[in-house]
Amino acid sequence: MNQVTPTPPTGIRVAGDTNVGKVRDTNEDSLILEPARGLYAVLDGMGGANAGDIASQTARDAIRDFVIQKRLAFSPKQLLEAAILAGSRAVFESAQANRERHGMGTTCVAVLVVDKSHVIVGHVGDSRCYLLRGGRLQTLTRDHTIVEELVDRGLLAADEAERHPYKNVLSRNLGSRPDTKVDLLELELKPGDRLLLCSDGLYGYASAEGIQYILGSGDEPQHVARDLIELALRGGGGDNVTTIILEAPAAPPSTTQLVRTNGAMAWWQKRQTFLIVAKDRGLTRNPIVRGLDPKDALDVVALSLCQAVFHDLEKSTGVNVWTFAQNLASGWFERGGEWSAVRSMMDILGTASRAVVDEIKVADGKLGFLLDVAVSRALVVAELALGGLLAERLRQVDTDLIQLHTAMHETVDAPTDDTLDTGERFVDRPTIPFLRPDRPVTGAGVTAEVIDGITKTITIARARTSPRAELVKEVLTALDAIASEGSGNFATAVLSARELYGVRSVDEQGIMPLFDALDQARIVIASAVHQIQTTESNRAKVLRALSVAHQRLVSAMTGLVLEAVAPFSERLREIQQTTSDLRDEVASAERRRAELERRFATNIDPSLPWGSRGTTEW
Amino acid sequence: MPPLARAYEALRPKILQRLLELRSTLDPSLGRLDEATARSQMGAVLEHLGNFIATGDVGLHRAFLHTFLAMRAAEAQSPASVLAMLVAIGDTAAQVAQEAGAGTTEGAELTLLLTRVTASTARLLNDLIADELARRKQSWGDMASAKRGSS
Repeated sequence: MNQVTPTPPTGIRVAGDTNVGKVRDTNEDSLILEPARGLYAVLDGMGGANAGDIASQTARDAIRDFVIQKRLAFSPKQLLEAAILAGSRAVFESAQANRERHGMGTTCVAVLVVDKSHVIVGHVGDSRCYLLRGGRLQTLTRDHTIVEELVDRGLLAADEAERHPYKNVLSRNLGSRPDTKVDLLELELKPGDRLLLCSDGLYGYASAEGIQYILGSGDEPQHVARDLIELALRGGGGDNVTTIILEAPAAPPSTTQLVRTNGAMAWWQKRQTFLIVAKDRGLTRNPIVRGLDPKDALDVVALSLCQAVFHDLEKSTGVNVWTFAQNLASGWFERGGEWSAVRSMMDILGTASRAVVDEIKVADGKLGFLLDVAVSRALVVAELALGGLLAERLRQVDTDLIQLHTAMHETVDAPTDDTLDTGERFVDRPTIPFLRPDRPVTGAGVTAEVIDGITKTITIARARTSPRAELVKEVLTALDAIASEGSGNFATAVLSARELYGVRSVDEQGIMPLFDALDQARIVIASAVHQIQTTESNRAKVLRALSVAHQRLVSAMTGLVLEAVAPFSERLREIQQTTSDLRDEVASAERRRAELERRFATNIDPSLPWGSRGTTEW
Repeated sequence: MPPLARAYEALRPKILQRLLELRSTLDPSLGRLDEATARSQMGAVLEHLGNFIATGDVGLHRAFLHTFLAMRAAEAQSPASVLAMLVAIGDTAAQVAQEAGAGTTEGAELTLLLTRVTASTARLLNDLIADELARRKQSWGDMASAKRGSS
């Protein structure tokens, strides 16, 4: 294997490899790897009586010598063209001088590196140059074969070309004549671009997809060069195969990459600073950690946040800091703790974070600045989590207030009506992650006054709904029915849900419009209930009755959706099983095919003439 | 006007445009608004952020957030949802500033400033929610005492 270390002047990394293949005895391919001159080439020789290797080696030496000796006399483009022509003359003269070598020739695809972002590509024959840019593979060269020329002239259809008996017969090569025409291309390289020079032993036995996959793997160039050859050998290896990889310097790492790697590590290395500042600022005296040993307090709170920030920086996420903030505050709030203690704790942790960032800024200003933004962002995430908990507490207190308010008025009014039914206990299952699940919501008491309030609220809500929002109106009608019925069972909710479910098909439009309508109805009711003329006590009862109705309708609707998708889930499981079985069958067939190909390749008589390739100049 | 406030003002139309494009993915409550309402609501927030950047007046910022929270509550929007929406607006502003000023000191400083403004906004909103929570707890305590007294 030939390997080349990075070339300092350009930063372009290059590696090359060649292999005789599985069928031939001699390797007629040659390659040039001249990092000092920025010259790289693949040559594929042809001609009977071992002349193919002579042809490619003769051209190789002539091209390399020409570039070394004449590089100051030409512009880069002229230099490469003249060098390839010198190679052609050398092969021709050698063939003329030796009768056994008559008719020998070689292909050539060569790259001359001008600078780190500028190369010249020259080629004659059917050795190719590929460019991999942004994960996409493109061929930069056009094969000089008779069939390709016929296609270009419109004399042959492209699909016929693939099956044409002369598809490998070259229309140009180096050596059959003293001069030939060299195709030249100037290419501007972009960061991370990869160029592949190869003989037909690669693309003739490996698919373009396979080449693209390996070239884009991100592996080192020398590994790529070797793996591409392996790919051709696995595909049969019926010809000599040669590859050269050139890789343009990659773009500098993005700010996100910097934060994920260097930033996260720098942050973690400064954790002692974080702990010291947190302690100095009084973390161990905060009421949240009262009763804990100071060291434990620092470990449980400060080190945990430090770790959470590290993991979030490493993965560009906020989930660890979010979880930390929730763990810190939820237990505290449950115990009746005040916001001021959490606030003070977050201030201490914020100060410690800034101290760490300031230290990193002294060592590396740019990295420190990026960390400043990332850590500030992490603290915003913590505030978001805390806000969620506070909002949930607020909602709980609101519910308690309504219940207490209602209970007080019921005590004063001393209701005797049997229809004042609190209903069965209903479980609210909120969808917002930070809400506590399984919180019981009691049923609404429904009196004539409440029913009147419900009717009026729904009337106002309907009037405030756009005429086009038919679905919202349907939902409002359903809520009216459920809230007014007030028996405490789900029958009305389920019936209403079934009616609504028919309005929108799950298959055609999805279920989101339905749930959006439910949400809209809730919003418009919350507003309309304040418009009705009634006492505050009754208004609270109306709102409660409609809220419970809304929850029941959402639950019933969710049940219907789950019921509807159940058969599809079953079908999906069946399809997944079938797919899995088919994959197994395909894998088995591929193993068998590979085995057959292996046997086929070893059964070929290596003494047979090459046959299909010729040296005809056309 | 301080240079960063000027830079923010120059960027404000671009930020608003990005917010309008992304509003459905930023926050469900923003996604439900029609374009004119969304433009007016988000435009008001961005305008206020500009004032806060220019003056650094925390009292004024808090007063604005108080009003904003009350208005959204009247539209049945929860405080958590308001917090998420304002953080999403701040994040988007910082992202636009980062893209527009890539490689420049001013762009980097504006990005950091907007991130810090978002942090201040989140903290002030949490303070407001906590204040409201304390008030309602007090009301509940008063009502519970009154109920015990009456029974």
